[in-house]
Amino acid sequence: MVENTIRKIKWFWVWQDEQEEAWLRSMSQKGWHLSSVGLPCIYRFRAGEPRDYVYRLDYQTFPKKDKQEYQQLFRDAGWEYIGEMSAWQYFRKEVKEEEPLEIFTDVESKIAKYKRILTFLWLFWIILIVVIPVRGISFDNPYPWWGVIQATQVFTLLIWLFFTYAVIRLMLRIRQLRRL
Amino acid sequence: MLRDDTNKYLPLTESTYYIMLTLVEPLHGYAVMKKIEEISKGTVKVGPGTLYGAFTLLEKEELIVKVNEEDRRKSYVLTPKGKKVLMKQIKRLEIMTQKGLSVIDVL
Repeated sequence: MVENTIRKIKWFWVWQDEQEEAWLRSMSQKGWHLSSVGLPCIYRFRAGEPRDYVYRLDYQTFPKKDKQEYQQLFRDAGWEYIGEMSAWQYFRKEVKEEEPLEIFTDVESKIAKYKRILTFLWLFWIILIVVIPVRGISFDNPYPWWGVIQATQVFTLLIWLFFTYAVIRLMLRIRQLRRL
Repeated sequence: MLRDDTNKYLPLTESTYYIMLTLVEPLHGYAVMKKIEEISKGTVKVGPGTLYGAFTLLEKEELIVKVNEEDRRKSYVLTPKGKKVLMKQIKRLEIMTQKGLSVIDVL
């Protein structure tokens, strides 16, 4: 690995995209510029002159062809595309006077972004709620694998709780935006 | 005959209104952004995230249609349904501003 790059692993909840953006900006102000992102929660930074870059995150899934059009639109508007982590799209732009620093310019489109995430979370939430009781049936007829089944069952339940929490927080975030 | 369901799109958000207004002629994304800034006299700026979301939605609802694509830039234009929606929105705005202008002196 080249010595002027660093790798960080950092967790942000889905409703904390603004905190994530602020963190990336502060890294750039210290001379660490985001060069790529990847799963799970991996951020790679390259050393350089400290610069005031703002970072903005969108949430989009699309076929490859549409993606090129999407990236072109942002490039035309002065945004540099960095990469994607699951469906999160990372952009940055250097702070200059007269330059718009937002990719979402109204509340409705911000809400629409969170709703796209919410759709994805709901999908997983529903899958999990179906999976948990199905596996729960094995509770009544113990066999050698019973312990393992129970352990994965508990694990699935924890993941389900995690998704439930994420859904609730995201819905609260949308409600907060609606009040603006 | 198809039922007229264009009312469900009303009122348009300010951004969507301006986006549709620019698409009376075929334009690609960046041109739409520039044009909006110009015709709104700088009062409205539409960011690329907002614009992309609006394009996706308007295309899905068949209010706009893709007419051309070059260098990864797609151009869109209003469909007849889109024109109808825009027309209704303009009428709504006309009523709003007429009333507004009539009371402006007492403000």
